[in-house]
Amino acid sequence: MSAIDEFEEAREDLEALLIEVLGSVFSEEAMPVWDDALPPGPIVSSRLAIHDEVDDSYTMVEVRTSAIVARVLASRMLLTADPGPDDLLDAVGELGNIAGGNVKSLLRHSCRLSLPLAEMTDDAAAPDVDGVTVRAAVLGQVVELTVHLAGDIEGLTWPGSASEEVVETPA
Amino acid sequence: MLALVVDDSRAMRSILTRLLTGLGFDVAQAGDGAEALTVLDAGARPDVILVDWNMPVMDGLTFIKNVRAREDLRDISLMMVTTESEQNQIVRALAAGAHEYVIKPFTDEVIAEKLALLGLVAA
Repeated sequence: MSAIDEFEEAREDLEALLIEVLGSVFSEEAMPVWDDALPPGPIVSSRLAIHDEVDDSYTMVEVRTSAIVARVLASRMLLTADPGPDDLLDAVGELGNIAGGNVKSLLRHSCRLSLPLAEMTDDAAAPDVDGVTVRAAVLGQVVELTVHLAGDIEGLTWPGSASEEVVETPA
Repeated sequence: MLALVVDDSRAMRSILTRLLTGLGFDVAQAGDGAEALTVLDAGARPDVILVDWNMPVMDGLTFIKNVRAREDLRDISLMMVTTESEQNQIVRALAAGAHEYVIKPFTDEVIAEKLALLGLVAA
């Protein structure tokens, strides 16, 4: 089975995963949507990669939503009435991290998760990639989850586990 | 009681700090394992450390191994709070010295329950 077929076969599970993660993170009911797209205007995204060392492939997980949703999320997470751009990126970055960890458990066991890279853009169009995109609505706004094989992992960083060494205790 | 929250996400640190403060803890924060070791080296002795797994500079598993290797930190309870939810990862964390393991996303009740299991809050 190709990776794309695998992602497609997991579509319902990915939809359920997104709804569960949104429901938990926002403490709001999330509903599946199929036809709705992200609204025009600033989009906040979080992407991370899952590295399979066996075949050296990378599965990319991307979460995208409007700046409106990002602002509500950041406000709630950081307890600030007026979150700044860095706050929006941090909050959506963590949302992507949680979604990515759940996708890894679903599709890519025993693989390595990158750190999330959050960005703000004006491009509401879905990523033009071979993969699966599922959508859910929370707070009346769309949140997108896309899973695809990565062609480009530029800009992503990895957890600082290169050294498993125990640091020498200071005298 | 003092808790140390170690996570590279400010949002997650904020959520855990609010939760722990509500349970009666004073809370210190660090953005990665290396920064947390610096906090400990400066003399802080938290009753419990809640640590993420995937962080830059030093990840949570390496941090736990470092804490467990030090005699002066042996009384500190360690709770891994992470998106890593596979059984083998949980086993690795517990084998390294984590006392409890919580998978994100979590509820306030789950954290309180784990703290109760550690004897740090009333059940």
